[in-house]
Amino acid sequence: MRRRAIRTTPTPNPSPAKGRSRPSSTGYGGGELTAFVATILLLLSTPAFAHTGETAGGFLSGLAHPVFGPDHVVAMVAVGLWGAFLGPPAIWLLPIVFPLVMAAGGVLGILGVPLPAVETGIASSAIVLGLMVALAARPPLWVAAVLVGAFAIFHGYAHGKELPDGANAVAFSAGFVIATGLLHLTGIAFGLLARWPAGRLAVRGAGAAIALIGVAYLGGYV
Amino acid sequence: MTAFLGGLMQFFIPSHLLAVVALGLFAGQHAQRFPHAALGAFAIGLIAGSLMVASAIRQNPAALGLLMLAVAAASLVVLAWDVSNWLVGVMSFATGSALPLNAPPHEITIANAVAAQAGLAVAAIAIVALVMVIAMRATRPWQRIGVRIAGSWIAASAILVLALRLAR
Repeated sequence: MRRRAIRTTPTPNPSPAKGRSRPSSTGYGGGELTAFVATILLLLSTPAFAHTGETAGGFLSGLAHPVFGPDHVVAMVAVGLWGAFLGPPAIWLLPIVFPLVMAAGGVLGILGVPLPAVETGIASSAIVLGLMVALAARPPLWVAAVLVGAFAIFHGYAHGKELPDGANAVAFSAGFVIATGLLHLTGIAFGLLARWPAGRLAVRGAGAAIALIGVAYLGGYV
Repeated sequence: MTAFLGGLMQFFIPSHLLAVVALGLFAGQHAQRFPHAALGAFAIGLIAGSLMVASAIRQNPAALGLLMLAVAAASLVVLAWDVSNWLVGVMSFATGSALPLNAPPHEITIANAVAAQAGLAVAAIAIVALVMVIAMRATRPWQRIGVRIAGSWIAASAILVLALRLAR
């Protein structure tokens, strides 16, 4: 509930202030570092507007909807990364499973079926999927599909709650489904680097970074 | 000419595009050569739909029908099953007939109304034929996967909007 309340507050996030105090207290002070940390925190704070409960219409709004929520972005990229890491058929099966199950989650949101801990589920998806990539986990395909599908429910639910009424609904939903798919493709493209030893390290590092971002969201640090 | 262009532009709304692109992918996915029969059924459907509009059938569930057809066609694209040509023909006809019903002309004269319907039909046939050709030529493995991914996007979008329309 606390995190939800934070996300619905349409005011600038106070995180940059935290960023200003931290460098001086740790002895790493300096204007540049302070500005850097403040900028990072400010950038990370924008997704607080991702699930405001408000609705908007149009293709571009739909396209922008997942993109302006880093918790969504990292989870989507992780799906692509993991798919690329696992290789065929996971490389195409996971990005196909995700939007379809996400739509099922969206239907639950539209119908108002209560689903507990949606934001926790979204943050957890980044942690678990990021860890799968970081640890180079290779479970059976059906396990990967079930895992990705289970998290897709939470992402879809959040989107479904905010789907606008009226003629724009089609354009909005098409926009955010395409944006989700493009984020998967981004993950796949980056994940293909895993063919080379150095690239494999980079991909696993990206997975670890995604998991850390998920932890930050889960802990309410961003 | 203005009425014709108006009808042409009336085609380019998201629900029409979802249904027509899904149909094009579905008809072209397994076709060895251009699916003339499917395109023919689609054109006959457009004529039938226009005649129904002319018969003053204004209140109809065409919007929901288009979304259901989009879900069905896109789901079949994702599954990539071999289906009978009859099913392709029936879905082509159904999609074709739902389009004019969902976009009745708002012209005052009959000539303008016919021109508007012709514009809608030209745009719909051009787009469905283009998508059919693209899906038919997608023969490499990654291209076929791309077709299925596009199908999953269309199915997901249509399912969401269908739920929204039915729920609210």
